[in-house]
Amino acid sequence: MTDDKDVLRDVWFGRIPTCFTLYQDEITEREAEPYYLLLPRISYLTLVTDKVKKHFQKVMRQEEVSEIWFEYEGTPLKWHYPIGLLFDLHASNTALPWSITVHFKNFPEKDLLHCHSKDVIEAHFMACIKEADALKHKSQVINEMQKKDHKQLWMGLQNDKFEQFWAINRKLMEYPPEDSGFRYIPFRIYQ
Amino acid sequence: CSMAGEEDFFLEEKRFKQYCEEFIKHSQQIGDGWEWRTSKDLGDGYLSKTHFQVRNRNIPPDLKEKSDNNEQMLFTRVEESLDDSQVAGVCATEEVIRYEYHVLYSSSYQVPVLYFRACFLDGRPLTLDEIWKSVHACYQARLLEGPWDTITQQEHPLLGQPFFVLHPCRTNEFMSSILAGSRKQNRHTNYIILWLSIVGPVVGLNLPLSYAKLGPERNTN
Repeated sequence: MTDDKDVLRDVWFGRIPTCFTLYQDEITEREAEPYYLLLPRISYLTLVTDKVKKHFQKVMRQEEVSEIWFEYEGTPLKWHYPIGLLFDLHASNTALPWSITVHFKNFPEKDLLHCHSKDVIEAHFMACIKEADALKHKSQVINEMQKKDHKQLWMGLQNDKFEQFWAINRKLMEYPPEDSGFRYIPFRIYQ
Repeated sequence: CSMAGEEDFFLEEKRFKQYCEEFIKHSQQIGDGWEWRTSKDLGDGYLSKTHFQVRNRNIPPDLKEKSDNNEQMLFTRVEESLDDSQVAGVCATEEVIRYEYHVLYSSSYQVPVLYFRACFLDGRPLTLDEIWKSVHACYQARLLEGPWDTITQQEHPLLGQPFFVLHPCRTNEFMSSILAGSRKQNRHTNYIILWLSIVGPVVGLNLPLSYAKLGPERNTN
Protein backbone atom coordinates (compact mmCIF):
# COMPACT_ATOMS: atom_id res chain seq x y z
CA MET A 1 0.00 0.00 0.00
CA THR A 2 2.93 2.39 0.70
CA ASP A 3 3.99 2.20 -2.97
CA ASP A 4 0.61 3.43 -3.99
CA LYS A 5 0.54 6.38 -1.60
CA ASP A 6 1.19 8.88 -4.40
CA VAL A 7 -1.68 7.46 -6.40
CA LEU A 8 -3.93 7.49 -3.36
CA ARG A 9 -3.10 11.13 -2.70
CA ASP A 10 -3.72 12.09 -6.34
CA VAL A 11 -7.11 10.41 -6.24
CA TRP A 12 -8.01 12.01 -2.91
CA PHE A 13 -7.00 15.53 -3.93
CA GLY A 14 -8.59 15.50 -7.40
CA ARG A 15 -10.67 18.60 -7.97
CA ILE A 16 -13.17 19.88 -10.54
CA PRO A 17 -13.53 23.64 -11.04
CA THR A 18 -17.22 24.39 -10.97
CA CYS A 19 -19.44 27.43 -11.56
CA PHE A 20 -22.76 27.45 -9.71
CA THR A 21 -25.56 29.58 -11.16
CA LEU A 22 -28.98 30.13 -9.61
CA TYR A 23 -31.88 28.87 -11.70
CA GLN A 24 -33.42 31.82 -13.52
CA ASP A 25 -36.98 31.22 -12.24
CA GLU A 26 -35.97 31.37 -8.59
CA ILE A 27 -37.30 34.54 -7.01
CA THR A 28 -34.58 36.87 -5.73
CA GLU A 29 -34.45 40.28 -4.11
CA ARG A 30 -31.30 41.23 -6.01
CA GLU A 31 -29.33 39.70 -8.82
CA ALA A 32 -27.58 36.47 -7.95
CA GLU A 33 -23.92 36.31 -8.89
CA PRO A 34 -22.51 32.93 -9.90
CA TYR A 35 -20.38 31.13 -7.33
CA TYR A 36 -17.12 29.37 -8.16
CA LEU A 37 -15.79 26.39 -6.24
CA LEU A 38 -13.23 23.62 -6.62
CA LEU A 39 -15.16 20.43 -5.91
CA PRO A 40 -13.43 17.32 -4.52
CA ARG A 41 -13.96 14.39 -6.88
CA ILE A 42 -14.31 11.89 -4.08
CA SER A 43 -16.94 13.78 -2.08
CA TYR A 44 -20.67 14.41 -2.43
CA LEU A 45 -22.40 17.57 -3.71
CA THR A 46 -24.51 18.16 -0.62
CA LEU A 47 -21.49 17.69 1.63
CA VAL A 48 -19.35 20.41 0.07
CA THR A 49 -21.80 23.09 -1.00
CA ASP A 50 -22.75 24.84 2.25
CA LYS A 51 -21.05 28.00 0.98
CA VAL A 52 -22.98 27.79 -2.28
CA LYS A 53 -26.25 27.53 -0.38
CA LYS A 54 -25.38 30.49 1.87
CA HIS A 55 -24.31 32.59 -1.11
CA PHE A 56 -27.63 32.23 -2.93
CA GLN A 57 -29.82 32.35 0.14
CA LYS A 58 -28.43 35.85 0.81
CA VAL A 59 -30.37 37.18 -2.19
CA MET A 60 -33.55 35.18 -1.60
CA ARG A 61 -36.44 35.50 0.81
CA GLN A 62 -36.74 32.75 3.48
CA GLU A 63 -40.11 31.58 2.18
CA GLU A 64 -38.68 30.98 -1.30
CA VAL A 65 -36.10 28.53 -0.01
CA SER A 66 -36.62 24.83 0.50
CA GLU A 67 -34.34 21.85 -0.12
CA ILE A 68 -31.43 22.65 -2.42
CA TRP A 69 -30.84 20.51 -5.48
CA PHE A 70 -28.51 20.67 -8.45
CA GLU A 71 -29.01 20.21 -12.15
CA TYR A 72 -26.80 20.04 -15.21
CA GLU A 73 -28.31 20.80 -18.63
CA GLY A 74 -31.77 19.84 -17.44
CA THR A 75 -30.75 16.65 -15.63
CA PRO A 76 -31.10 16.56 -11.84
CA LEU A 77 -27.74 15.58 -10.34
CA LYS A 78 -27.80 12.64 -7.95
CA TRP A 79 -26.00 13.92 -4.91
CA HIS A 80 -25.43 10.34 -3.71
CA TYR A 81 -23.06 9.71 -6.61
CA PRO A 82 -19.49 10.95 -5.99
CA ILE A 83 -18.83 14.33 -7.64
CA GLY A 84 -16.12 12.93 -9.90
CA LEU A 85 -18.53 10.28 -11.15
CA LEU A 86 -21.22 12.88 -11.89
CA PHE A 87 -18.75 14.96 -13.86
CA ASP A 88 -17.43 11.97 -15.82
CA LEU A 89 -20.98 10.82 -16.60
CA HIS A 90 -22.45 14.15 -17.62
CA ALA A 91 -19.80 16.68 -18.56
CA SER A 92 -16.44 15.08 -19.21
CA ASN A 93 -16.37 16.27 -22.83
CA THR A 94 -17.19 19.88 -22.11
CA ALA A 95 -14.92 22.77 -21.27
CA LEU A 96 -14.17 23.68 -17.68
CA PRO A 97 -15.48 25.11 -15.44
CA TRP A 98 -18.35 22.70 -15.00
CA SER A 99 -21.59 24.72 -15.00
CA ILE A 100 -24.14 23.56 -12.46
CA THR A 101 -27.56 25.15 -11.91
CA VAL A 102 -28.82 25.55 -8.35
CA HIS A 103 -32.50 25.10 -7.42
CA PHE A 104 -34.42 25.77 -4.22
CA LYS A 105 -37.91 24.81 -5.38
CA ASN A 106 -39.80 21.95 -7.02
CA PHE A 107 -37.59 19.19 -5.66
CA PRO A 108 -37.76 16.30 -8.20
CA GLU A 109 -39.11 13.56 -5.90
CA LYS A 110 -39.03 10.90 -8.57
CA ASP A 111 -35.37 11.41 -9.43
CA LEU A 112 -33.46 12.46 -6.35
CA LEU A 113 -33.01 11.16 -2.85
CA HIS A 114 -33.71 13.72 -0.16
CA CYS A 115 -30.81 15.15 1.79
CA HIS A 116 -32.14 17.07 4.75
CA SER A 117 -28.99 16.76 6.86
CA LYS A 118 -25.39 15.53 6.89
CA ASP A 119 -26.67 12.41 8.66
CA VAL A 120 -28.25 11.30 5.40
CA ILE A 121 -24.93 11.56 3.56
CA GLU A 122 -23.10 9.77 6.35
CA ALA A 123 -25.65 6.95 6.33
CA HIS A 124 -25.33 6.59 2.57
CA PHE A 125 -21.54 6.64 2.64
CA MET A 126 -21.33 4.08 5.44
CA ALA A 127 -23.84 1.83 3.68
CA CYS A 128 -21.59 1.84 0.59
CA ILE A 129 -18.52 1.04 2.70
CA LYS A 130 -20.37 -1.82 4.41
CA GLU A 131 -21.58 -3.31 1.17
CA ALA A 132 -18.08 -3.15 -0.28
CA ASP A 133 -16.71 -4.93 2.78
CA ALA A 134 -19.39 -7.61 2.50
CA LEU A 135 -17.79 -8.46 -0.83
CA LYS A 136 -14.15 -8.02 0.25
CA HIS A 137 -14.13 -9.58 3.70
CA LYS A 138 -17.61 -11.03 4.32
CA SER A 139 -18.15 -7.88 6.44
CA GLN A 140 -15.64 -9.09 9.03
CA VAL A 141 -13.35 -6.07 8.96
CA ILE A 142 -16.08 -3.41 9.04
CA ASN A 143 -18.02 -5.24 11.76
CA GLU A 144 -14.97 -5.68 13.97
CA MET A 145 -14.32 -1.94 13.93
CA GLN A 146 -15.69 0.20 16.72
CA LYS A 147 -18.20 2.98 16.19
CA LYS A 148 -15.43 5.53 16.68
CA ASP A 149 -13.51 4.03 13.73
CA HIS A 150 -16.57 4.35 11.51
CA LYS A 151 -16.90 7.95 12.71
CA GLN A 152 -13.25 8.66 11.93
CA LEU A 153 -13.67 7.35 8.39
CA TRP A 154 -16.63 9.63 7.85
CA MET A 155 -15.01 12.67 9.50
CA GLY A 156 -11.91 12.16 7.36
CA LEU A 157 -14.05 12.40 4.25
CA GLN A 158 -16.17 15.26 5.54
CA ASN A 159 -13.16 17.36 6.59
CA ASP A 160 -10.90 16.40 3.69
CA LYS A 161 -8.31 14.76 5.97
CA PHE A 162 -6.36 12.19 3.94
CA GLU A 163 -4.32 10.75 6.83
CA GLN A 164 -7.29 10.53 9.19
CA PHE A 165 -9.34 8.73 6.53
CA TRP A 166 -6.64 6.28 5.45
CA ALA A 167 -5.69 5.38 9.03
CA ILE A 168 -8.99 3.46 9.06
CA ASN A 169 -9.48 2.74 5.36
CA ARG A 170 -6.16 0.88 5.09
CA LYS A 171 -7.65 -1.87 7.28
CA LEU A 172 -10.49 -2.21 4.76
CA MET A 173 -7.92 -2.47 1.96
CA GLU A 174 -5.82 -5.22 3.53
CA TYR A 175 -6.18 -8.97 3.44
CA PRO A 176 -4.51 -11.73 5.48
CA PRO A 177 -1.06 -12.76 4.13
CA GLU A 178 -2.25 -16.34 3.53
CA ASP A 179 -4.95 -15.08 1.13
CA SER A 180 -4.07 -13.96 -2.37
CA GLY A 181 -6.55 -11.09 -2.29
CA PHE A 182 -10.06 -10.01 -1.40
CA ARG A 183 -12.84 -12.57 -1.58
CA TYR A 184 -14.45 -10.41 -4.27
CA ILE A 185 -13.38 -7.03 -5.62
CA PRO A 186 -16.22 -4.52 -5.40
CA PHE A 187 -16.74 -2.12 -8.22
CA ARG A 188 -19.69 -0.32 -9.74
CA ILE A 189 -20.18 0.37 -13.41
CA TYR A 190 -22.16 3.40 -14.54
CA GLN A 191 -23.20 4.31 -18.04
CA CYS B 1 -21.34 -8.77 15.45
CA SER B 2 -19.33 -11.67 14.10
CA MET B 3 -20.73 -15.13 14.73
CA ALA B 4 -17.87 -17.55 15.04
CA GLY B 5 -18.95 -21.16 14.82
CA GLU B 6 -22.44 -20.53 13.41
CA GLU B 7 -23.13 -21.82 9.99
CA ASP B 8 -24.08 -19.13 7.53
CA PHE B 9 -27.16 -19.73 5.45
CA PHE B 10 -26.50 -17.63 2.42
CA LEU B 11 -29.21 -17.59 -0.16
CA GLU B 12 -28.03 -18.27 -3.68
CA GLU B 13 -29.67 -16.28 -6.44
CA LYS B 14 -31.06 -19.38 -8.16
CA ARG B 15 -32.68 -20.45 -4.90
CA PHE B 16 -34.03 -16.93 -4.44
CA LYS B 17 -35.84 -17.22 -7.79
CA GLN B 18 -37.18 -20.68 -6.92
CA TYR B 19 -38.56 -19.54 -3.59
CA CYS B 20 -40.10 -16.49 -5.25
CA GLU B 21 -41.78 -18.72 -7.82
CA GLU B 22 -43.27 -20.84 -5.03
CA PHE B 23 -44.32 -17.68 -3.23
CA ILE B 24 -46.05 -16.21 -6.29
CA LYS B 25 -47.95 -19.44 -6.91
CA HIS B 26 -49.41 -19.32 -3.43
CA SER B 27 -50.12 -15.61 -3.68
CA GLN B 28 -52.10 -16.23 -6.83
CA GLN B 29 -54.07 -19.01 -5.12
CA ILE B 30 -55.18 -16.77 -2.29
CA GLY B 31 -55.34 -13.50 -4.22
CA ASP B 32 -52.63 -11.81 -2.18
CA GLY B 33 -51.59 -9.54 -5.04
CA TRP B 34 -47.88 -10.34 -5.47
CA GLU B 35 -46.39 -10.49 -8.93
CA TRP B 36 -43.00 -11.19 -10.43
CA ARG B 37 -41.46 -8.40 -12.49
CA THR B 38 -38.38 -8.48 -14.67
CA SER B 39 -36.15 -5.63 -15.64
CA LYS B 40 -36.07 -5.12 -19.41
CA ASP B 41 -32.33 -4.97 -20.01
CA LEU B 42 -31.13 -7.27 -17.25
CA GLY B 43 -32.21 -10.77 -16.43
CA ASP B 44 -32.94 -9.72 -12.86
CA GLY B 45 -36.40 -10.02 -11.44
CA TYR B 46 -38.17 -9.09 -8.25
CA LEU B 47 -41.39 -9.55 -6.32
CA SER B 48 -43.80 -6.65 -6.29
CA LYS B 49 -46.99 -5.78 -4.47
CA THR B 50 -49.05 -2.63 -4.07
CA HIS B 51 -51.63 -2.06 -1.39
CA PHE B 52 -53.42 0.73 0.41
CA GLN B 53 -53.43 1.52 4.08
CA VAL B 54 -55.56 3.90 6.02
CA ARG B 55 -53.95 6.22 8.51
CA ASN B 56 -55.90 7.90 11.28
CA ARG B 57 -54.90 11.50 11.71
CA ASN B 58 -56.79 11.99 14.98
CA ILE B 59 -55.66 9.83 17.83
CA PRO B 60 -58.57 9.19 20.24
CA PRO B 61 -57.96 10.85 23.65
CA ASP B 62 -57.77 7.60 25.67
CA LEU B 63 -55.13 6.16 23.33
CA LYS B 64 -53.18 9.39 23.57
CA GLU B 65 -52.69 8.83 27.29
CA LYS B 66 -51.61 5.22 26.86
CA SER B 67 -49.23 5.89 24.04
CA ASP B 68 -45.72 6.87 25.13
CA ASN B 69 -45.06 8.74 21.96
CA ASN B 70 -47.84 11.14 21.18
CA GLU B 71 -46.60 11.61 17.70
CA GLN B 72 -46.90 7.93 16.90
CA MET B 73 -49.37 7.65 14.10
CA LEU B 74 -51.77 4.77 14.22
CA PHE B 75 -52.29 2.66 11.17
CA THR B 76 -55.36 0.68 10.55
CA ARG B 77 -54.36 -2.46 8.70
CA VAL B 78 -56.71 -3.08 5.87
CA GLU B 79 -56.90 -6.83 5.37
CA GLU B 80 -58.08 -6.76 1.81
CA SER B 81 -56.84 -4.27 -0.72
CA LEU B 82 -59.18 -1.35 -1.08
CA ASP B 83 -60.55 -0.85 -4.53
CA ASP B 84 -60.92 2.61 -6.00
CA SER B 85 -64.50 3.12 -4.87
CA GLN B 86 -63.68 2.08 -1.34
CA VAL B 87 -60.68 4.38 -1.28
CA ALA B 88 -62.82 7.34 -2.26
CA GLY B 89 -65.23 6.54 0.54
CA VAL B 90 -62.65 6.90 3.31
CA CYS B 91 -63.56 9.85 5.46
CA ALA B 92 -61.66 13.10 5.64
CA THR B 93 -59.99 12.58 9.00
CA GLU B 94 -58.31 9.49 7.65
CA GLU B 95 -55.72 9.34 4.91
CA VAL B 96 -55.06 6.64 2.42
CA ILE B 97 -51.48 5.77 1.68
CA ARG B 98 -50.40 3.73 -1.28
CA TYR B 99 -47.55 1.33 -0.47
CA GLU B 100 -45.51 -0.40 -3.10
CA TYR B 101 -43.21 -3.21 -1.90
CA HIS B 102 -40.41 -4.83 -3.89
CA VAL B 103 -38.32 -7.83 -2.90
CA LEU B 104 -34.97 -7.84 -4.67
CA TYR B 105 -31.92 -10.07 -4.40
CA SER B 106 -28.67 -8.57 -3.12
CA SER B 107 -25.61 -10.25 -4.63
CA SER B 108 -23.35 -8.41 -2.20
CA TYR B 109 -25.07 -9.72 0.93
CA GLN B 110 -26.57 -12.84 -0.67
CA VAL B 111 -29.92 -12.15 0.95
CA PRO B 112 -33.27 -10.72 -0.18
CA VAL B 113 -33.86 -7.02 0.43
CA LEU B 114 -37.15 -5.20 0.99
CA TYR B 115 -37.59 -1.93 -0.86
CA PHE B 116 -40.75 0.16 -0.61
CA ARG B 117 -42.23 3.50 -1.39
CA ALA B 118 -45.27 5.21 0.01
CA CYS B 119 -47.34 8.16 -1.10
CA PHE B 120 -50.66 9.81 -0.39
CA LEU B 121 -53.38 9.66 -3.01
CA ASP B 122 -52.48 13.10 -4.28
CA GLY B 123 -49.03 11.79 -5.15
CA ARG B 124 -47.13 13.37 -2.27
CA PRO B 125 -44.52 10.88 -1.11
CA LEU B 126 -44.02 10.19 2.59
CA THR B 127 -40.86 11.63 4.12
CA LEU B 128 -38.26 9.49 5.87
CA ASP B 129 -39.45 10.95 9.14
CA GLU B 130 -43.05 9.93 8.43
CA ILE B 131 -41.87 6.45 7.50
CA TRP B 132 -39.90 6.12 10.74
CA LYS B 133 -42.91 7.27 12.74
CA SER B 134 -45.12 4.74 10.98
CA VAL B 135 -42.96 1.78 12.01
CA HIS B 136 -45.08 -0.41 14.24
CA ALA B 137 -44.94 0.45 17.95
CA CYS B 138 -43.30 -2.82 18.94
CA TYR B 139 -40.33 -2.14 16.65
CA GLN B 140 -39.85 1.52 17.56
CA ALA B 141 -37.30 0.79 20.29
CA ARG B 142 -35.14 -1.20 17.89
CA LEU B 143 -35.52 1.48 15.21
CA LEU B 144 -34.46 4.22 17.60
CA GLU B 145 -31.26 2.30 18.43
CA GLY B 146 -30.07 3.06 14.96
CA PRO B 147 -32.57 4.52 12.50
CA TRP B 148 -29.85 5.37 10.00
CA ASP B 149 -28.79 1.70 9.91
CA THR B 150 -32.33 0.43 9.60
CA ILE B 151 -34.55 2.32 7.15
CA THR B 152 -33.23 4.94 4.75
CA GLN B 153 -33.87 6.18 1.24
CA GLN B 154 -31.81 4.56 -1.49
CA GLU B 155 -31.76 4.32 -5.24
CA HIS B 156 -33.67 1.26 -6.44
CA PRO B 157 -30.99 -0.92 -8.10
CA LEU B 158 -33.13 -1.78 -11.13
CA LEU B 159 -35.48 1.19 -11.52
CA GLY B 160 -33.02 3.91 -10.50
CA GLN B 161 -35.73 5.73 -8.52
CA PRO B 162 -35.81 6.71 -4.84
CA PHE B 163 -37.20 3.99 -2.60
CA PHE B 164 -37.02 3.30 1.11
CA VAL B 165 -35.07 0.22 2.06
CA LEU B 166 -34.81 -2.03 5.08
CA HIS B 167 -31.05 -2.47 5.49
CA PRO B 168 -29.95 -6.04 4.73
CA CYS B 169 -26.65 -6.20 6.61
CA ARG B 170 -28.22 -8.00 9.61
CA THR B 171 -30.49 -10.36 7.65
CA ASN B 172 -28.06 -13.25 7.64
CA GLU B 173 -27.74 -13.04 11.44
CA PHE B 174 -31.36 -13.68 12.29
CA MET B 175 -32.09 -15.95 9.35
CA SER B 176 -29.21 -18.29 10.19
CA SER B 177 -30.45 -19.03 13.68
CA ILE B 178 -33.98 -19.76 12.45
CA LEU B 179 -32.86 -21.86 9.51
CA ALA B 180 -30.48 -23.87 11.70
CA GLY B 181 -33.46 -24.99 13.79
CA SER B 182 -35.58 -25.76 10.79
CA ARG B 183 -32.79 -27.77 9.17
CA LYS B 184 -32.43 -29.92 12.29
CA GLN B 185 -36.10 -30.81 12.04
CA ASN B 186 -35.79 -31.69 8.36
CA ARG B 187 -38.47 -29.18 7.55
CA HIS B 188 -38.80 -27.58 4.15
CA THR B 189 -38.76 -23.85 4.54
CA ASN B 190 -39.27 -21.19 1.94
CA TYR B 191 -36.61 -18.62 2.78
CA ILE B 192 -38.65 -15.79 1.29
CA ILE B 193 -41.78 -16.59 3.30
CA LEU B 194 -39.77 -16.93 6.49
CA TRP B 195 -37.84 -13.72 5.92
CA LEU B 196 -40.78 -11.63 4.73
CA SER B 197 -42.98 -12.74 7.62
CA ILE B 198 -40.28 -11.35 9.95
CA VAL B 199 -39.33 -8.07 8.26
CA GLY B 200 -42.58 -7.21 6.51
CA PRO B 201 -44.61 -6.26 9.60
CA VAL B 202 -41.99 -3.67 10.56
CA VAL B 203 -43.08 -1.64 7.55
CA GLY B 204 -46.75 -2.46 7.37
CA LEU B 205 -46.57 -5.59 5.25
CA ASN B 206 -48.28 -8.66 6.68
CA LEU B 207 -48.37 -12.15 5.23
CA PRO B 208 -51.55 -14.19 5.60
CA LEU B 209 -50.96 -17.31 7.69
CA SER B 210 -51.72 -19.64 4.80
CA TYR B 211 -48.20 -19.04 3.48
CA ALA B 212 -46.91 -21.09 6.40
CA LYS B 213 -48.58 -24.17 5.01
CA LEU B 214 -46.36 -24.29 1.92
CA GLY B 215 -43.99 -27.12 1.27
CA PRO B 216 -43.93 -30.87 1.90
CA GLU B 217 -45.58 -32.25 5.01
CA ARG B 218 -43.50 -32.25 8.18
CA ASN B 219 -41.93 -35.53 9.17
CA THR B 220 -43.71 -36.90 12.18
CA ASN B 221 -42.04 -39.59 14.23
